[in-house]
Amino acid sequence: MKTPMNLSLRALLALAVLSAAGAAQADPVTSDADAREQKLERHVEELARQLQAVQAELQALKAQNQAAASARAAPASPAPQAPQQPVQTAAIAAAPTPPAAPAAPASSPFENLSLWGYGEVYYTHPTHDSKRTEFDLARAVFGIGYKFDDRTLFNSEYEVEHAVSSADDVGEFEVEQFYIDRLLSDQVGVRAGLILMPFGLLNEYHEPTNFYGVQRNFVETLIIPSTWREGGAALHGETEFGLAWNAGITSDQDLSKWNFAPEFPQYVTALDLEDNDVAPLQATHQELALAKGQHLAQYLALNYNGVPGLKVGASIFNGKLATVPAPPNAPVPDDQHLTLWEAHARWMPGNFDISALYAHGAISNLAAINAENPGSPNPIPSSFLGYYGQVAYTAWQSGGYRFAPFVRWEHYDMGASYEGVSGPVVPSGLVPVSAAPGDYGYWPRGFDRVWTFGANYYLGPHVVLKADYQSFRVNTDFSRYDLGLGLNF
Amino acid sequence: MKARLLLIPLSPLALVAPAYAVTYLTVEQAQTLMFEGSVLTRDFRVLTPEQIQAIESDSGVKVANPQLNAWRDGAGGWFVLDQVIGKHEFINYAVALDANGAVRQLEILDYHESYGGEVHLPAWRRQFVGKHHGSQLQLNGDIKNISGATLSCGHVTDGVRRLLSTYALVLAAAEH
Repeated sequence: MKTPMNLSLRALLALAVLSAAGAAQADPVTSDADAREQKLERHVEELARQLQAVQAELQALKAQNQAAASARAAPASPAPQAPQQPVQTAAIAAAPTPPAAPAAPASSPFENLSLWGYGEVYYTHPTHDSKRTEFDLARAVFGIGYKFDDRTLFNSEYEVEHAVSSADDVGEFEVEQFYIDRLLSDQVGVRAGLILMPFGLLNEYHEPTNFYGVQRNFVETLIIPSTWREGGAALHGETEFGLAWNAGITSDQDLSKWNFAPEFPQYVTALDLEDNDVAPLQATHQELALAKGQHLAQYLALNYNGVPGLKVGASIFNGKLATVPAPPNAPVPDDQHLTLWEAHARWMPGNFDISALYAHGAISNLAAINAENPGSPNPIPSSFLGYYGQVAYTAWQSGGYRFAPFVRWEHYDMGASYEGVSGPVVPSGLVPVSAAPGDYGYWPRGFDRVWTFGANYYLGPHVVLKADYQSFRVNTDFSRYDLGLGLNF
Repeated sequence: MKARLLLIPLSPLALVAPAYAVTYLTVEQAQTLMFEGSVLTRDFRVLTPEQIQAIESDSGVKVANPQLNAWRDGAGGWFVLDQVIGKHEFINYAVALDANGAVRQLEILDYHESYGGEVHLPAWRRQFVGKHHGSQLQLNGDIKNISGATLSCGHVTDGVRRLLSTYALVLAAAEH
């Protein structure tokens, strides 16, 4: 694209060259003709160099214009294995060398749109109970974001769990995130809507490429109920020395959803344990689905990222819960408060990736509620906790490929203490575990110690193959081999 | 002496932020910060296909944009503007190289996403100081990662490795 300005620049340069040459002809006889000739040559060389620079700039502008035009023509065709390629057209306009014209209004409503996704497929084989082997498209998640202006962003994620969601199938369709994030300044933002809770190492970074093992660890599933989200508003920011903070007011849990009298165990495999919403904060989550909002909770999360390769943080959540309705003529129980806190650290020296986390939850004033349900196999716990330590090591990497074996030890206890009852009353020995004739098993315990040995094999940053073996020390029938495929873009 | 920057029209280079962005520095601010007291002369290049191939082969990183936005200072140093993808959006950043081609400073100019912005933290950026063409420059190797910002950290690391190859194969080569 030749603009009048570019042409006039060229003309000026050409004129300068000619005038320099003319000046040389008008002064043929001097005492130092050689010196003058050399000076003129340098002058001409300098002008030629500048002319080349102008030409280069013109070519660059042409290239950028073409790139921007082609990107607008094909906004959703990024090269997946080329991380340097833009994935959306809005980003093109943010290049450091955009065309000389000021930023034009978006020529398409899609220019500020972002699309992304992640998902994972499992194959899980209980070694002592192979008839419960399962194959599952555990989750397929797609995200849509939109940028309204330079301060305001919308993000959302939509998830299908277990491939098919219908009245006759086990799957679910969920909105996992749905929020507006607005920058109040370069240091502070406010986020409102359905937001992810900034707890632990996994909840906000739950894509399969971000964790070791086919399934998420049990502590950050059963104690911190990832993917944990609540409706509410939060302020967040980060200081120059690396302290990230996040504080908010949100919805919380509803104890009236608790099932005190399951006829059969609510889970009979480790996969069920993660999927069936049995843990205290999974069984009572509201996920902004007509959530009871009489009481609100508050939370604070701090993370320190100031030393490269190290992250340490902690967070606490506290709120008054929606309660179980009291029976007629029974005294109204005191309010129940939930307090969940956790502390975590991740250190990545060299090829090692070492992490540890402790999480503890407590619900107050449950004695009267549990006493109303004597003999329950599933009373509400007053406290629950878990912790793990994990070591991964990048044993090999080449190009985008990376092979990282890991080992993890974890302990979870979904009922560390109870009020009003001594604990769950569960049958011992082989019992029917479902309505299917002949389906016998052991009623599982709500606590365990689990070793996980496995490896992640990354095919670039977006795809990971996983394999692991998990050994359960209490619920030994849960021990299993797993294979997984994860993706994230 | 206050920076005297020969910025032949800077307007085409001004960062445009049409969408959600934290802008830490403009190009001009970054130049002043990184080369205070120096005269910077714009020396833009368009990489030839042969140069692109050589850079990609040397660095192992794809060259998405043939335009090389570099400024030279009087003492032989360079100010180079570049961009990489964070997760979905561009991160614009600048690298100051000394006369020997070693990284003197790295500054993040802006960040456009709601997660992963920790790459702007000074402690993380300081890891690049002193790196030169031939340095390993691998995330989780000589450059430590930030948990939760892995893609941004990885892509900036790759970007600097690509720029150091570009320096060695294009900018420094042209001077010899």
